[in-house]
Amino acid sequence: MAANLLAELTQHLHARHLHPTPAWLQSFASTTRPNTPLPALKQTALFRLLATDITTSLSPPASSLFPADIFNARIQSRHVAGPLVCQVLDISDIGHSNWSQVESIEAHERGETTKGREIVRMVDREDENDHNEAAAVGPVMASKGPFKLLLQDAKGMKVYALDLRGLEGINMGMSMGTKLVVRNVDVRRAVVMLEPGGVQVLGGKMEALDKAWKAGRKERLVRDARGVGEGGGDG
Amino acid sequence: MTRILCVAEKPSIAKAVANHLGGQARAENVRGIQWVKNYRFDFNFQRWGQCSVTFTSVAGHIQTADFPDRYRKWHSCQPAELFEAPIQTKVAEDKKAIATNIEAQARNASVLFIWTDCDREGEHIGTEIRDIALKVNPRMEVCRARFSNIERAHIVRAAANPIPLDDAQANAVAARIELDLRLGAAFTRMQTLALQPMIPQQGEQRKIISYGSCQFPTLGFVVDRYLRVRNFVPEPFWYIKVVHEKDDINVRFSWARGHLFDRMAVTIIFERCLIAKMAKVTKMQKKPTKKWKPLPLTTVELQKMGSRFLRMTSQEVMNVAEGLYTKGWISYPRTETDQFDLGMNLRNLVEKQQQDGRWGDFAQGLMNGGFKQPRSGRNNDKAHPPIHPVNYVASTQLNPNEQKVYEFVVRRFLACCSEDATGEATDVDIEYGGEIFRAHGLTVIARNYLDVYPYDRWESSQNLPLYTVGETFEPKEATMQDGQTAAPGYLTEPELISLMDANGIGTDATMAEHIAKIQEREYVIARLKGAGAAANGGGNGAATRGGRGRGRGRGGRGGRGGAAAQNGGGSTGGVQELIPTTLGIALIEGYDNVGFETSLSKPFLRKEMEAQMKAICEGRSTRHDVVQQNLEQYRAVFNRTAQQINILKAVSAAQEWLLKSR
Repeated sequence: MAANLLAELTQHLHARHLHPTPAWLQSFASTTRPNTPLPALKQTALFRLLATDITTSLSPPASSLFPADIFNARIQSRHVAGPLVCQVLDISDIGHSNWSQVESIEAHERGETTKGREIVRMVDREDENDHNEAAAVGPVMASKGPFKLLLQDAKGMKVYALDLRGLEGINMGMSMGTKLVVRNVDVRRAVVMLEPGGVQVLGGKMEALDKAWKAGRKERLVRDARGVGEGGGDG
Repeated sequence: MTRILCVAEKPSIAKAVANHLGGQARAENVRGIQWVKNYRFDFNFQRWGQCSVTFTSVAGHIQTADFPDRYRKWHSCQPAELFEAPIQTKVAEDKKAIATNIEAQARNASVLFIWTDCDREGEHIGTEIRDIALKVNPRMEVCRARFSNIERAHIVRAAANPIPLDDAQANAVAARIELDLRLGAAFTRMQTLALQPMIPQQGEQRKIISYGSCQFPTLGFVVDRYLRVRNFVPEPFWYIKVVHEKDDINVRFSWARGHLFDRMAVTIIFERCLIAKMAKVTKMQKKPTKKWKPLPLTTVELQKMGSRFLRMTSQEVMNVAEGLYTKGWISYPRTETDQFDLGMNLRNLVEKQQQDGRWGDFAQGLMNGGFKQPRSGRNNDKAHPPIHPVNYVASTQLNPNEQKVYEFVVRRFLACCSEDATGEATDVDIEYGGEIFRAHGLTVIARNYLDVYPYDRWESSQNLPLYTVGETFEPKEATMQDGQTAAPGYLTEPELISLMDANGIGTDATMAEHIAKIQEREYVIARLKGAGAAANGGGNGAATRGGRGRGRGRGGRGGRGGAAAQNGGGSTGGVQELIPTTLGIALIEGYDNVGFETSLSKPFLRKEMEAQMKAICEGRSTRHDVVQQNLEQYRAVFNRTAQQINILKAVSAAQEWLLKSR
């Protein structure tokens, strides 16, 4: 591949704050067919890069990494300018109990969310026009969170983040390994506060991680529910 | 003079209607069945002029459908054969005297005027009567009366306006009867033969494990909730509470997020609030609000409210309501309609209630200008109006249960004719540390319908001080609190009725019977809510009771007519909660393990059947098509279950073991 082509690609990826390692670029270049038009090549490069583990495929400047002492929880609040790319390793819905999420998954497994096979399991206790407090124990369907995420930067640093505002593209259905660009964020007690305007969802996923995460989700929820419950009460 | 034979669905209706039409009608005994009478009198019908009338009755269905003898013995055939075995429909053994009486009376009458209840079952009973009468006297003119209460003027009007029998509705019932018989017998035999050896038995009596296409989904709801309660894991949550004092009022603001399940997250948010120090008012709204008066009363609603507020089971409520209807105090209690016909004279009905000591003043208020047309719901079965009081009766003439149900029906009706309660709602939102907190206040201005309807609650809350948008203040108190999720309660009867209604199991008129049936079958036990953990294991229900019946569970309406007073509904008390027995759980888990998607514990198959009954009534489908289609679907489930019967046995065996180990 011609050097100018490589430069074009690098520029395209840098514009998205992605700094691939030379090794990754080389190996990508070696797999492309000659005569592929440049726009298609750019697309493919972006798509493939977003499907990688950024701890091996990216080598960004230090300003595009989390500060080395990011998990110092004694720091009440600090500003991280970024922009930096990170990948999502885990997400949990902290607006709903683990157990209610288990119940939703089981209802889904029983086929109760299939169209025409729905079963009404909860009924309103009060009459139509009462705006009474919601009984929070029923199964949840499409949750609005808020969500707690585990993010990882290109150097492998892992940090928790909170989405309290319901950002687009961040939900329980997102793929593990999704890449985010984060900038101008507030980090409180070692937790990144995700705010609109400060987060750009690039997409992508890490296939193996995503598969394992989805397959193990119910088991983790059950374990977490039990683990927490035993400490806290008569569980 | 024309001779007319009138036939009601049960003796009490015959007596009441005969007395309305004929004054003190002469009662004659009927040979062989002492509780049925023939009333004789003369009456001037609009259509036939002065007539000599014989008014008699049946007692529910006259005919029964059953398999011929060679299929009736338990081991006489493979259960699967019952899907297509011939069915014989004939006069039931204990109804022979009734049929003979109708034949005798029909011989010299020229008109048959049917007075069965105006619903599907009534229509079918009407066709049974017609068939018997026409066999001995084919030239008879046949028609039926349309009525929905036993009030005199209404009855006289019905007598003047006969209508034809509706064969479509009768066909829907015929389809249901055939399906209930075939499915009930086939599944009951299969599961009983497979599971009986595992069920402990008493003496010589072997337990029959009956199946009914309504019972099983009903049981499914009870088991599902029971398992949810048993499996529940409590979890801690955290939340933030803000208090501000203004004008000597402590205003409590609650977090718009409710609570979160992550301590770290709440701690960080809480810290941000403390740092922010000042809260800012983002919304201050006062607006008029209403508590809507209730909708006109349907059967489902009566059953739900009955078991919630009247300390009676839904079946008891229905039996009592049936009695009040027969005596002419309330309208027909089986109705889906929640809208009053605009032409109905409701004021006239309100007026009758003025004499009562408890709600008479309220009724008077309505008569003196307070009357408002009731709200209209979305349902109209086109057969009966919503349940309402037809006449006034003093409570001294009623027994305690009748008093409760009558009072409820009257109060509900008066509430419908009254006005919505009005009030003023105040909402204050504040932004504090990037989070929203809310305070809500309510001032009730006019109670209106609430004065006569104590079953609804709506009370003024704390008064909120005046805030202005943009105003900032430092909260007096901001605290981080914790709590714990709590398991849902076991399913209560009113909840179960709502679930059956929402999922299309049974018709409004039959729900109470299905609930009673699963108790009678010992799949479920009922106990007073909060009665403690005595029966908590749910394991003491598998005791045997005689092998009565012939091995079929009927999904249909059980004790209609004369025998309606029996019930297995447990004792009178507060709200009952339903707990499955070991056997009940084993059956549902067994079927679920055989195939989740179309398990018999799920409501879909029955729901579809119910929808198809409606299609027959509306002429969109035929009895034959509906029966064939349903048999096909259930046969698929039957075959799969038969092939995997070991799965069913395995669950029962495991439950059995559990039972012993407790």
